Amino acid sequence: MTGAHVGTLVLGGLAAIESTPVAQTLASQPLVTATILGALWGDWSTALAVGVVLQILAASTLPIGARTPEDYSVGGVVGAGVALSIAAGAPFEHVRQAASLTGVLAGMVAATLGVPLLRWQRQWNEGLARWCENALRAGRERALAESQGAAVALAFAIGLAATAMWMALAHGGAALVERESLRLAGAWHLLQPLWLGFGFAQLLHAFVQRRLERAGVFAAALVGAWLVIVAGAP
Amino acid sequence: MSDRVLGRGTLLAMGLRANLLQAAWNFERQQGLGWAYALEPALRRLYPAREQRLERLAEHTAYFNTQPTLASIALGAAARVEEERALGTGDAASMARLKAALGSTLAALGDRLFWFSLRPFAAAVGVLVAMTQPRHGWGAIALWLVYALPHLTMRFGGVAWGYAAGPAVLSGAFRDRLEAAVRWLGLLGCAVLGVALAWALAPAGEPRPIAVQCALAVGLGVGLLTAQRARPSPTRWALAFGILGLILAWRFHN
Repeated sequence: MTGAHVGTLVLGGLAAIESTPVAQTLASQPLVTATILGALWGDWSTALAVGVVLQILAASTLPIGARTPEDYSVGGVVGAGVALSIAAGAPFEHVRQAASLTGVLAGMVAATLGVPLLRWQRQWNEGLARWCENALRAGRERALAESQGAAVALAFAIGLAATAMWMALAHGGAALVERESLRLAGAWHLLQPLWLGFGFAQLLHAFVQRRLERAGVFAAALVGAWLVIVAGAP
Repeated sequence: MSDRVLGRGTLLAMGLRANLLQAAWNFERQQGLGWAYALEPALRRLYPAREQRLERLAEHTAYFNTQPTLASIALGAAARVEEERALGTGDAASMARLKAALGSTLAALGDRLFWFSLRPFAAAVGVLVAMTQPRHGWGAIALWLVYALPHLTMRFGGVAWGYAAGPAVLSGAFRDRLEAAVRWLGLLGCAVLGVALAWALAPAGEPRPIAVQCALAVGLGVGLLTAQRARPSPTRWALAFGILGLILAWRFHN
């Protein structure tokens, strides 16, 4: 296991605590964690290819009220981590593209499977809260800080363990991805723009909210930017 | 009685602890434990008698939930009411009313401002910058700064604003400013998405192959249709596309 592997696992734990238990500054979003992993593994392009797609999907996944959303904090680390570990040292571009596709799919599956894990964690926290209230009434003033610490430690451990499991799977499946890399790279050429367009639409729907003037701003920006980009090209 | 007025140090400690508001989030009490933990510095100052302080702390571990960033405002207002309570002019009922009223109002405002507007806006800016600078980390920095600066300002400043204004914190100009921010973020978000889509179609002025442009258009169209319904979630749709893409790749790739 290399330093990059260890860094990925630790980042999985840190992302899990930043997403809900601590701070919530969006430092655990897939684009941010993919960028950190890109620097760690020395491969920006694979990391950002995965990070951009997962980020655009994560942006339309919101933690409203008591809803347990897909866990894109750990999913983002898993996606970029899996892609980077498969692409590490790959001599051909199509292998890196196959790794990107595998990473995005792994990230989405990890985010979806993270929902029951988050629910279990939140149920465990219920017991912690009841214990804390009883301990406070019994005169144990440090119970609050102990409960908070235990909840954060549990979130970190779950994030780290989930990332470790996915990285182990990626290690086992790397040979298969390399063998089928041409097919997977072909699918990536089709799926990457499809996912981007799908994610843009979700965000557009959130912004426009059936208001005509906002749809007009979008259309004007699209046409104006297209003209500037194409006319300004060398 | 002047020693019972909360100082800057106490409010700062509350702002710092508000970062752990959701540490032990659970379905039963939701943010209750984090709320009590964040309010503890104020209670420590207001109730020097240990028994009374522990009683108040236990009381505050009960159910509470709101949008986590704007929760700081409620924390500040609650500290103000708790101060009046310690001075003998408030009661438990006024605290319960404050938590219920501010919790729901701040949730409605905060969900629209932070979850439905600022978070997607930060993501759109981050993705646009990452697409235009694919070999640098500027996209991640842009995303983080666009969200974290207002978030942290509100988290730390909100405690002081809530404490200064008390239960009336959400009346008048403050609420109007938040509503205006929601409107502007919606408009700016549309503009950023327009530019991002133009760049995705022709990065650096070079139009991408027609198959890629078609895939982008199909994704956009299907996305707009599926966004009309909450279920299945966008992630499930995206996974379905992934499986379909893999099947097509295996079926047609020689």
